[in-house]
Amino acid sequence: MSVKDQITAPAPPRRHPWRERLLENWRVFHRNPLGRVGLILLAIFAIMAALSVAPPLIDPMYHPMTGVDPEVMHSSPPSWRHWLGTDFMGRDILSQLLAGTRVAFMVGVSAAFMSIVLGVSVGMVSGYLGGWTDIILMRLSEIIMVMPTLLVVLMLAALFGKLGIWTIVLMIAFFRWPGVARVIRAQTLSLKGRPFIDAARVAGASHARIVFRHIMPNVLPLAFLYMTFRVTAAIIIEAALAFLGFGDPGTVSWGMMLQWVWKTGHMFQAPWWLLPPGLCISLLTLSFYMLGRAMDEVLDPRLRDQSH
Amino acid sequence: MPDLRLTDNGQPRPAPTPPITTPVMELVGISKFYQSRGGVFGGSGERVTALNQVSLDFRRGEIFGLVGESGSGKTTCGRLMVGLERADAGQLVLEGREITALRGKDLRDFRRKVQIIFQDPYQSLNPQLSILDSVAEPLITSQACPASEREGRVLATLKAVGLSPAEDFAYRFPHQLSGGQRQRVAIARAMIIEPRLLVADEPTSMLDASYSAQIFDILLKVRENFGTTIVLITHSLAAARYLCDRIAVIYRGHLMELGQAERVITQPRHPYTQALIDATPKFGDCGEVPRYNALLAPERQGGEGAGCVFFRRCARAHLTRCSRQAPVWRRLEDGDMVACHYADGAPDPGPDIAACPAPGL
Amino acid sequence: MALLEVNHLSIGYQTPKGLLKAVDDVSFAVDAGQSLGLVGESGCGKTTIGMALMGLLPPNGSIVGGNVVLDGQDLSGLGEDALRQRRWRDIAMIFQAAMNALNPVQRVGEQIAEAILTHKPELGREEALRQVEGLYQLVGLPVGRLHDYPHQYSGGMKQRAVIAMALALNPKVIIADEPTTALDVIVQDQILKETRELQKEFNIAIIFISHDISIVSEVCEMIGVMYAGQMVERGAVGEVFRNPRHPYTKALLNSFPALGGPRRPLKPIPGEPPLLIGHRFGCRFCDRCPVPAASCKLEPPELVQVSETHFVRCDNA
Repeated sequence: MSVKDQITAPAPPRRHPWRERLLENWRVFHRNPLGRVGLILLAIFAIMAALSVAPPLIDPMYHPMTGVDPEVMHSSPPSWRHWLGTDFMGRDILSQLLAGTRVAFMVGVSAAFMSIVLGVSVGMVSGYLGGWTDIILMRLSEIIMVMPTLLVVLMLAALFGKLGIWTIVLMIAFFRWPGVARVIRAQTLSLKGRPFIDAARVAGASHARIVFRHIMPNVLPLAFLYMTFRVTAAIIIEAALAFLGFGDPGTVSWGMMLQWVWKTGHMFQAPWWLLPPGLCISLLTLSFYMLGRAMDEVLDPRLRDQSH
Repeated sequence: MPDLRLTDNGQPRPAPTPPITTPVMELVGISKFYQSRGGVFGGSGERVTALNQVSLDFRRGEIFGLVGESGSGKTTCGRLMVGLERADAGQLVLEGREITALRGKDLRDFRRKVQIIFQDPYQSLNPQLSILDSVAEPLITSQACPASEREGRVLATLKAVGLSPAEDFAYRFPHQLSGGQRQRVAIARAMIIEPRLLVADEPTSMLDASYSAQIFDILLKVRENFGTTIVLITHSLAAARYLCDRIAVIYRGHLMELGQAERVITQPRHPYTQALIDATPKFGDCGEVPRYNALLAPERQGGEGAGCVFFRRCARAHLTRCSRQAPVWRRLEDGDMVACHYADGAPDPGPDIAACPAPGL
Repeated sequence: MALLEVNHLSIGYQTPKGLLKAVDDVSFAVDAGQSLGLVGESGCGKTTIGMALMGLLPPNGSIVGGNVVLDGQDLSGLGEDALRQRRWRDIAMIFQAAMNALNPVQRVGEQIAEAILTHKPELGREEALRQVEGLYQLVGLPVGRLHDYPHQYSGGMKQRAVIAMALALNPKVIIADEPTTALDVIVQDQILKETRELQKEFNIAIIFISHDISIVSEVCEMIGVMYAGQMVERGAVGEVFRNPRHPYTKALLNSFPALGGPRRPLKPIPGEPPLLIGHRFGCRFCDRCPVPAASCKLEPPELVQVSETHFVRCDNA
């Protein structure tokens, strides 16, 4: 085949390097016991969240907030009718738990996602441009970072009354991005000096292209890792807010459930009510944490057991 | 190895004409300084001279060797030539046009004409990009090639640097390739837009001997098939002798000697060049290379003023003249250049007859 | 009998994928005052041999065949304690990237003194430091710099300090693993010369491990060429260079550009070295050999003696 034919001939079937890479990463992830357990737990919770649409469909009476069972107007232990029992008003605990799962996911993932997007952008720009941009952004991030998130949010809640769920999400994201930004900035700084960035510059890439095409792919794995930790933090903050009475009164969350238990004095009388939400908070955050640890191994080949 | 000849429309390139002496690139009086941070608590440190009044010209189709040890400024020079650093003084001239602050289209044109390959094959490829993406990068940024043809061109270039079958390599990631293979990918990436000048910054110092030889081979073929001027930056005189038409020797930012490769190696004028030749290991069977004993060890103390930069280690130095007066970078009768007071006219009389330093004050 | 004898040495690493035989049936001998160069490319096993001689193999590595005899005593049979006794007193090592072997937060003189005191605690710190001063003079380091930190030394000075550390206990054998890789050519030349002088003065046997065959040609009397864990050629330097018999040796010599002599074209070796896991039939160089014979693929080649000191592992030699 002449050279010309080689250029204009139909391209050979394109392999998918990304797919192969993802598969390899998946294999490593899967091998890690933490990853497996984390994934299983997460799957369980995901199913729970999906099932949360079920109870109202079965019977409008089972709406978590208002679905009071007229036959059981008080807290009752688990029975065939109510698998996890009822709370002090006779509302089904299981449906509350399922609804709470949905909220936890929503809050956790959204808040984490937003803080990552913000943190990565700021970190990359700050690290790459350096100079005054870097100084200003980093000082700003430090100021935000040293503020105790929960306290400030509580203060704002006290000032403005009860907060909507999305406001809470935004605030969590706002206070959490600096941590990510600093880490991403550090990594950007180390990448900036590497020869392949020089090579990209000599190949003619603009600054924007270098940041998004060359630096970002190298930074994203770390960002994903941090996202899992952010989810953990977000869930706990939301739960704490709800528990302290500053949550969104219109949504059922696990923290809210705990608040009701406490406020109605059923802490020690109704373990079937107290335990599920508490356990769920712990287990969901644990599963994300385990995911993060397993991803650590995927990211850093040196941590892998076998030679790859 | 398959033919490297490519043009935009895929037609074979006609054989290159013999090298003509129009310089592709010229460095005119280039100087670069670094301010080192002084002390633990900052404050102004010393000003380090990376390059001092370096003037070089690179001719079309030649392979030029810039030889020096660490700290000589050769890498800085290479980076300056591709626009990764900016000179503090002097001019850079590409094909007759002076290049100062380039922007936009001018910068893009410049980038198309000058490329570089780096020393470390393990760091010069983006670990997150497939080989295909890495090699295609110059095509994308220079907009020189329609998207539909990109893949074909990358595959053809990979094949031309000896990575065959190209499809196997194109879809892999850098960590799956050996050092020698990665360096070939780097060459493919640099050559895919057919630059006029290629800077090769110590391309083989981190590779084993057999891979080095492969890379040398490819560089020779690149020059043969594309007529690209290659500037080889190296610490090895032996490698420079093998590949290069002309060699320049640089020491602590100052050019010491420049000339036809064979002549610089067999009849070195400057004591530093002689010292390098003395120190380079030679094989048993390569014939007798005379010993010049040009290096003074231990070094002289003092004398770091306006004199020759090599004064402290030079065995042939004149104690007053060489320590007070820096030698001029001058042209000799045969066209070579040298920066030494004692390299007038005829080459060094020979190792046994050292230029006797007149007794100083 | 030679000072150090290595007989049919085989070293393997246990990996999840099986036994990786890094060194296979290697034999050589070194006399006092003599230098042997172990030459080969990355992964050929030369550093592994050095580590094994020092007893410094990682946990998953072990000698799986043959033995090492130092001064009449079989080292492979010794326990960990006994080996530690002999280490550094009888056989010392200059590690690869030796300059990084110095602890950056400890003064250089102290580090060397510590090495001395570890093996001779009875000396006491004062005496040890005095010996370090003596070593400094020996290797050409200014005694006034004894109490500096490593970052205050130049590359050449650090290398000299590491050599001083190796000489500290008057070893009989020194293993130098790529000691000059990171140094400039002029400094490298000086250090090699100084090492030779020290060797002659103290009658030390040196095993010089390097990928750079040109350095070995300057410094060693004997040379052993390694490929894929085996020693494919062995002999006096002059003879092996003038009359290389193994195709790999020839190819390796042809891969290095020479400063003198005619300007001959380099002939690169095509392909890549083989993986070392699993059993191999036939010669390991077969795939890349320019002159393979039919028998090469089927049977491992025998060791052929070319002259009194010159041996080749090739059927076609």
